[in-house]
Amino acid sequence: MPYTKRRRLVTSAVALALGAAALAACGSESGDSETESGPVSLTYWTWTPGMDKVVDLWNKGPGKKDQITVTVKKQASGDTLITKILTAHKAGKAPDLVQAEYQALPTLVSNDALADISKNVGDAKDRFADGVWQQTTLGTDAVYAVPQDIGPMMFYYREDLFKEYGLTVPTTWDEFAKTARKLKQAAPDKDLTTFSANDSGLFAGLAQQAGAKWWTTSGDQWKVSINDAATQKVAKFWGGLVKEGAIDNQPMYTPSWNKALNTGKQIAWVSAVWAPGTLTTAAPETKGKWAMAPLPQWSANENRTGSWGGSSTAVTTDSKHQEAAAKFAAWLNTDGDALNALAKESGIYPAAKNAQTSGAFLKPPAYFSHQADFYTKAADIAETTAPSAWGPNVNVAYTTFKDAFGAAAKNKSDFGAALNKMQADTVADMKKQGFEVAR
Amino acid sequence: MSSLAVPQTEPVAGSTPGTAQGRPPLRRRIALIPTVTLFLGAIYCLLPVAWVVIAATKSGRELFSTFTFLPGTGFAGNFRDLSAYRDGVYWEWMGNSALHAGLGALLSACVSAFSGYALAIYRFRGRETIFNVLLAGVLMPPVILAIPQYLLLAKADLTDSFLSVLLPQILSPYGVYLARIYAAAAVPADVVEAGRMDGASEWRIFTRIALPMMIPGMVTVFLFQFVAIWNNFLLPYIMLSDDEKFPITLGLFTLLEQGANTPALYTLVITGAFLAVLPLVALFLVIQRFWSLDLLSGAVKS
Amino acid sequence: MKSTARRQSYGVKGAPYAFLLPATILFALFFALPIGYAIWLSLHKVKVSGLGLGSGARREVWAGLENYTDALTDSELVNGALRVLGYGCIVVPVMLGLALLFALMLDSENVRLAPFTRLAIFLPYAIPGVVAALLWGFLYLPDVSPFYFVLDKLGLPQPDLLDGGPLYLALSNIAVWGGTGFNMIVIYTSLQAIPAEVYEAAKLDGATPVQIALRIKIPMVAPSLVLTFFFSIIATLQVFNEPTTLKPLTNSVSTTWSPLMNVHRDAFGEGDVYGAAAQAVIIAFATLLLSFGFLRAANRRQKQEAAR
Repeated sequence: MPYTKRRRLVTSAVALALGAAALAACGSESGDSETESGPVSLTYWTWTPGMDKVVDLWNKGPGKKDQITVTVKKQASGDTLITKILTAHKAGKAPDLVQAEYQALPTLVSNDALADISKNVGDAKDRFADGVWQQTTLGTDAVYAVPQDIGPMMFYYREDLFKEYGLTVPTTWDEFAKTARKLKQAAPDKDLTTFSANDSGLFAGLAQQAGAKWWTTSGDQWKVSINDAATQKVAKFWGGLVKEGAIDNQPMYTPSWNKALNTGKQIAWVSAVWAPGTLTTAAPETKGKWAMAPLPQWSANENRTGSWGGSSTAVTTDSKHQEAAAKFAAWLNTDGDALNALAKESGIYPAAKNAQTSGAFLKPPAYFSHQADFYTKAADIAETTAPSAWGPNVNVAYTTFKDAFGAAAKNKSDFGAALNKMQADTVADMKKQGFEVAR
Repeated sequence: MSSLAVPQTEPVAGSTPGTAQGRPPLRRRIALIPTVTLFLGAIYCLLPVAWVVIAATKSGRELFSTFTFLPGTGFAGNFRDLSAYRDGVYWEWMGNSALHAGLGALLSACVSAFSGYALAIYRFRGRETIFNVLLAGVLMPPVILAIPQYLLLAKADLTDSFLSVLLPQILSPYGVYLARIYAAAAVPADVVEAGRMDGASEWRIFTRIALPMMIPGMVTVFLFQFVAIWNNFLLPYIMLSDDEKFPITLGLFTLLEQGANTPALYTLVITGAFLAVLPLVALFLVIQRFWSLDLLSGAVKS
Repeated sequence: MKSTARRQSYGVKGAPYAFLLPATILFALFFALPIGYAIWLSLHKVKVSGLGLGSGARREVWAGLENYTDALTDSELVNGALRVLGYGCIVVPVMLGLALLFALMLDSENVRLAPFTRLAIFLPYAIPGVVAALLWGFLYLPDVSPFYFVLDKLGLPQPDLLDGGPLYLALSNIAVWGGTGFNMIVIYTSLQAIPAEVYEAAKLDGATPVQIALRIKIPMVAPSLVLTFFFSIIATLQVFNEPTTLKPLTNSVSTTWSPLMNVHRDAFGEGDVYGAAAQAVIIAFATLLLSFGFLRAANRRQKQEAAR
């Protein structure tokens, strides 16, 4: 293989020039999980704030007993982290444990970066909703990660302003559209919300709610249906609202957007369970004025939601202590003390079912202190999460989404065409890589 | 020759010396147009910088709600929160950046001085070829070099280390080019020749005669490379995994990107960015003294 | 100067090579090897079999020029190049013109507040990119910008800075703001290197400061001007930071706005380092033609002038 040859050339050049004993520590072959004896030290890439404090619990408790020490190396979240992990993996230097969003798991697995830990964490399955667990198996017998947090989607709105403008909380998307138009008539300078093209996860979650399954497998083939009927429906719905000017078309997370939320220029937000944190920063002045409700539905008798965000803990194939790492991953996401600490130190919404209504989640978040049943409601909504279906190049679909829908939102043009482009580019990329793609 | 130049800059040099004579001798005539032009330029450049300073004084509550250029009341709080974040890791980032940038820029200035001097003073086979090849290093976008550099240093087991960030940033094609221009302008060939006549070695001529003449230029190279390394993002992003080894840019980025559960810590990032500019300002103030050739030629003489 | 330099060289033959050794080693290790590897990557691609899950499902295979033909037929890359040319036509002349102007002003006599203005104009270069998006968001977005506030109060039209033609101005402004000081310092330090006696004769002949600037100073700092031009052309063709800064603020900047953003998206967003490498090689080649072409032309001109 020419790659190895090149590597050798590079190696000798560096060793020569730096005079370093470069090769001594370069055994990048991943040791299969042999039974451990003696102390083990693991590294863990995570972006979760406060994770070091949670890991301390492990290092002082179960980890001490088993002589497994975990060190947190805090990273920035985002798509580029996947590239960083894959680059490190290419050099055989990926950390033992990584935090990964669910939609990134197929990409990582397809690059052979994640170890199958089904032997070690299989028992944990019952602790999670089926739809959540299924994301870590990719529909196979293997298990590639342990779910950590989830982001069931909800509808957030300004309770006071809804009252002021005589609006009722929409229970269907049809009502949502009417609400947007009604607000526009009552207060032309205000918007119910915006369609933002800078976070693909939101759109994916909305499509998921509508019943879309973007990637599925049959036999040895992938089937990509990003522009299926369900997603077309979602795209046309939002495209229509943007086109008629019933909602705004500017991106989220800009200073402008924060101000719009803070001053009541935008009075609702389709978001997920983690929204209270974002609202605390973005709209501090409106604390206590917001309320949370289930996401509007596509038909009145449905009760489903999508998910936006959420991540898992995975063990890499580069780890020389996969068994120990898997043990830690299971503890982190199923142990009561660990989950409590995660909620308290990191503010995550746990994937483990029993943790969603205990400990830190008995009380509502400070920003929603008046909505006492916030987390009970959230847990009920989480239960209704529709299954998701991720594929090996979600990243490509996501970047295409940003460009195609960004342009469509700006020009107020056909969202359906943008969706078709997303489908076409995703399929083309998979074919280029050599995946078997069913027509 | 410079001893001549010093007193001659003293007399008033306006284009109309006659009118200047009647004024009190202490008050020198102000060159109005240049002063005003520069002042306008300074305002243009400082306005956005002022935003960083003002925003650093705002608390999280004020940042998005008060008028953009209205100072806030939260600086002390921001400073405290930033210092307390992960037991003061911010100051470790600052230290790392200072170390990367300080040592990297120093080595870079040295390497640039060697190369620039050689390319400017000597006539030798392959001179232009070497120069062009060194310059061609900037043609390949850094974005695409970071991954190969990582894989390369991984082979030497140097990733996630101080050296992995330092080594790739020592050679600066910009610095080499600047040093060449500066050496060509500041080191007269006959001075070098005179040194040779006296029997001095090439190394001695460089360190004792040429280098002092090149110092203003090298100071510029040092400054540029210092800021470039200080602000570099992609290379440390790929190379480092331990956040206690991060430089400041990367550290602040982890504050911005904490995942969906935790919103970006805007106020900490802005305060952190503001504090990170202060060492650069201090460096600039120290360094700009070395740009005055008069001062230096005086130093060389004594 | 050149004729005196030519006389040396006996017994010092090895010296220049020794002086260049550190740079050469560093170049070989941290530029040449990675560039070589990037070119190697650009000639390969990944080949997945079946579902692509599990070990051994992904191989690196020879791709020949496939990545190159893909890149060259990618209309976004071409459009990006056109956008960047338009942007460069604004940035380079404005930035370097201002840099030269400021440097000359700093170098003129009896300027007040020179140390302050010098620092002030340089300072934007020191603002880390991490806050740039926030910074420009607060200055460009109509809802929060103080400038729009003023325009609004004055009843003046409020242009949308983040779309169409004004977007180029918004981007150029960021680049000019960030880069003028840097180039100013290069030119200024070169001006400082000119011995004062060079002007004396002209001054005694009654030349005005403007005449001295045009006839003496600018020709003497020509090498520095060439340098700043050379690197500005490269920086323009590799523009990445400015559009990336504005990207989160508006739908008008796509992830492929500039060719280098395209490279970044493919390498870091979509994990296709092979295609990205091929694009990078093409960009490098275009940069080579433009920047070294300029350098050649500039050097030829300088030689002609020296000969006169």
